[in-house]
Amino acid sequence: MEILTASTGSYPRIGDRPEQQRHRQAYAQHERGEIFDEEFKRVQDEVTREVIEEQLRAGLDVVTDGQVRWHDPISHFTRKLEGCEIDGLLRFFDTNFYFRQPVIKGKLVRRESISEHEFTFAKEVSSKPVKPVVTGPYTLAKLSINRRSGDFQSLVDEFAGVISQEVRELAKAGAELIQIDESAILKNLSDFQVFERAIQKVVTEKGKARVALYTYFGDAAPLYQKLLKLPMDVLGLDFTYSPKLPDTIARLGCDKDLGLGLIDGRNTKLEREKQVLDVLKLILPVIKSKRVYLNPSCGLGDYLPREIAFKKLQNMVSIAEKAGGLT
Amino acid sequence: MMRKKLECLGLKLPLLPTTTVGSFPKPPYILEARRKFAAKGLSAEELKKLEERVTREWISLQEGIGLDVLVDGEMYRGDMATYFANNLDGFEISGLVRSYGNRYYRKPIITGEVKWQGPITVDWWRFTQGLTSKPVKGMITGPYTMMDWSFNEYYPSRREACLALAKALHEEVKALAKAGAKIIQVDEPAISARPEELPEFAIEAMKIVTEGVDAYFITHICYGAFEFIYPEMLKLPVDNFDLEMSNSELDLVELFRKHPFGKDLSFGVVDVHSHVVEDAATVEQRIRRALDVLKPEQLWIDPDCGLKTRTQEEAVNKLKAMVEATRKVKGLKNNYNGRQ
Repeated sequence: MEILTASTGSYPRIGDRPEQQRHRQAYAQHERGEIFDEEFKRVQDEVTREVIEEQLRAGLDVVTDGQVRWHDPISHFTRKLEGCEIDGLLRFFDTNFYFRQPVIKGKLVRRESISEHEFTFAKEVSSKPVKPVVTGPYTLAKLSINRRSGDFQSLVDEFAGVISQEVRELAKAGAELIQIDESAILKNLSDFQVFERAIQKVVTEKGKARVALYTYFGDAAPLYQKLLKLPMDVLGLDFTYSPKLPDTIARLGCDKDLGLGLIDGRNTKLEREKQVLDVLKLILPVIKSKRVYLNPSCGLGDYLPREIAFKKLQNMVSIAEKAGGLT
Repeated sequence: MMRKKLECLGLKLPLLPTTTVGSFPKPPYILEARRKFAAKGLSAEELKKLEERVTREWISLQEGIGLDVLVDGEMYRGDMATYFANNLDGFEISGLVRSYGNRYYRKPIITGEVKWQGPITVDWWRFTQGLTSKPVKGMITGPYTMMDWSFNEYYPSRREACLALAKALHEEVKALAKAGAKIIQVDEPAISARPEELPEFAIEAMKIVTEGVDAYFITHICYGAFEFIYPEMLKLPVDNFDLEMSNSELDLVELFRKHPFGKDLSFGVVDVHSHVVEDAATVEQRIRRALDVLKPEQLWIDPDCGLKTRTQEEAVNKLKAMVEATRKVKGLKNNYNGRQ
């Protein structure tokens, strides 16, 4: 079995060193109208290049663009939609990070492509595969305020339409693996049918790409069996909330690739090798697929200082090397 | 109602007491002084002199506006969690972490046993209370929020980190009460972060903080999600809940209709996240809505949250509207009672 190390999503766009302040400064200048869009985009490109390079330097097999251009995972996908306005700040799940909440006022129409050019840029500057990440339709709908007539189901369906288009374009642009983030389902089990339908719709557009479904910030153990039945290729799980998850997997087995979120993306404390290896020893034998990904429990960009994020990834790579001996 | 407790403590407050949540905007000369101090271009004594000056200014502004219960304005604090982390044993401070948009902050890291080294806020409380005959609230950040807003590298669980913080903060609360603070506010903006933890340990932590201390306790909660912790949150052993209401479109009132609110409530009637200054009529309407579900004896009036992100002018005007609206409501009430 192959154990690949991967990024789960965002990567810190600024650090504590003076030369790592560029993005922050350019953002402020752009906001004040002191620099044009073009100049801000140039800085975003530069920083994207830098965070990809950092992930590669840490030794990752699969990187992301660090989501340097995202305001947050929710407004990034709703900002460019017709029928939707961006409102005030709200806590992102149970984290210390805040997102701008979309207010839905009419039918959702995607005016332009959102992720494709971001992916294309990242792909060109990375020597290893880049995994584009999109926020899933259910989570987008769940974290929006619905101020139009029509039920929740139809809102999820429309978001599924938008994200399907994104996935289709990403696959066409050459993405080998596309990650869909659907954390909101973990605490809303009763919506599973609505969620399932949306995921099915999105996955039909994957073309030659493989699709990974990631959930985090909650206990996935109660949903594990149901999630496995969904038509995706990789299932990503956050182990930091779930003391029972390793046993659940060991008991129920797994016929998909797994994304093992065993590295806490929200704590500065570095994982002890033994602690991670013990879990791997328990679950690797029951996984029937040929590949697993070892990755942080969530994106690191909005939760950790840059220096720690890098150390976490380095530590993860060194643990994965040891884990190679287990298979 | 808890008015009896206030009376026992020797506090005679009018009906619908007006107050604020804690922080006020720092004027440019304080921001500049803090920058200079950080760059070692200003001594601690010089900074403190300026902080005392601005605290005096805020006290006279609050008295002028006609507020009933005052605060020191937190001119000497930066981030509400980092300030306490800097003054307790067991903490380090992290590199920059993103909070939203282009905002970054340094987050506390628990790296050792959390312990109280000695009074943190007591001198400031004493200084401020010395400037006014109105009661000044003692203000601390609560154990659950300190835990939720810190990285934890030391304790095996969130529960253990939270309870250790509660024990340390209990010492601060005791010291405040000993100095003479009769109203103590324990800020818990994060308490709705994981609703399941409220019965698991957040209530227990608040009990540790407040137990055996003779004071009227307020807890300030914001950032929504009350629907997940109400009515369970009423079990928090405090006298008064200070809640963000106007920013949540006042849906709490509906919640209280279903399950009556059994304690005192500081009702947030002006939105601290908006530059728009509410007119007194809007605020008056909000107060009247609160009075639909609460008795006047239960109700305190204040803004949604700390005002530190507003300009000084916005902050003062919002408070003026609040006091004016409260007077109007009381006037009508008095007339009504007069006819009885």
